[in-house]
Amino acid sequence: MLIAAAQADADTSMFFFGFMGIASALVFANLGSSYGTAKSGVGICSMGVLKPELILKSAVPVVMAGILGIYGMIVSVILAQKIKNDGTYTSYAGFSHLSAGLCCGLSSLAAGLAIGVVGDAGVRANAQQERVFVGMILILIFAEALGLYGLIVALILSSS
Amino acid sequence: MADMGANVANWSDLFYGIYPYSWANLGIAFALGFSIVGAAWGIFVTGTSLVGAAVKAPRIKSKNLVSIIFCEAVAIYGVIIAIILSGKMKNPGQLQAADYDKALFAGFAVFWTGISVGLSNLVCGVCVGVTGAGCALADAQTPSTFVKLLVIEIFGSALGLFGVIVGIIQAGGASNFPVANA
Repeated sequence: MLIAAAQADADTSMFFFGFMGIASALVFANLGSSYGTAKSGVGICSMGVLKPELILKSAVPVVMAGILGIYGMIVSVILAQKIKNDGTYTSYAGFSHLSAGLCCGLSSLAAGLAIGVVGDAGVRANAQQERVFVGMILILIFAEALGLYGLIVALILSSS
Repeated sequence: MADMGANVANWSDLFYGIYPYSWANLGIAFALGFSIVGAAWGIFVTGTSLVGAAVKAPRIKSKNLVSIIFCEAVAIYGVIIAIILSGKMKNPGQLQAADYDKALFAGFAVFWTGISVGLSNLVCGVCVGVTGAGCALADAQTPSTFVKLLVIEIFGSALGLFGVIVGIIQAGGASNFPVANA
């Protein structure tokens, strides 16, 4: 039988998890980035009706959410370069790449959720009270740091 | 494959029993299917707000079609990746035991590329749809805001591009599908 004959030394399961790591880094980071962009985008659209001159300044949450998508892409591309079918890819590598992808992806998802909600409330408040802007930026920076933690840990894991 | 139900002792046994080309075909299906779901979701979210706002401000309808087109582009990304991936799959005829591992590696690559691209495009489509809806409603009230709000939509559609870039890099691992030895 084909399976019995080929099964002798075969262990290709590590590739499955390696590629799963790449996919999870990208998908979850994009999910967070998309939530952040859309949620703060709705806030910007709402307040832009009455204060059009503040729109570009209020695009800060959108830019910060976009950066989260870039974190996911960075980790995915780094992991994709490391997966090669030449006999040197171990199970250890496969699982650590899975972990790296999930670290980056889920952290960016969380950061994107935070940026979205704070960005939405922040830009609406900024339209009514100019002095809120600095406070909003500080909160957004703390939220962005969450995604950065995930990126750092993912880079450490992927290089081991 | 009557004897395959016997012993599944580890992940390898589990994945090994699934034919490599079924992994690959599922990946292609997910790349296309999820992208199109995302595009459709974005289109209906934008479209409802667009037609609703156009009741009192009919001038907005032709300019705001660009938001619909951004969502459609997400579906095009999925189609491109699906065509690229299906071009990498080759018919092996009767799959030889020696080629099974290579085919399995390539099958995993295509499967996870499809998931990456498909789900990225899904969320990108929803994002572009929601921001497009907001853009249409704001445009109906204050026409000068349209171009600035479009900038936000462009940030949203960059997410689909990230998916395509990573998908093309990841699919490079799928280049070694075995060919049929005629």
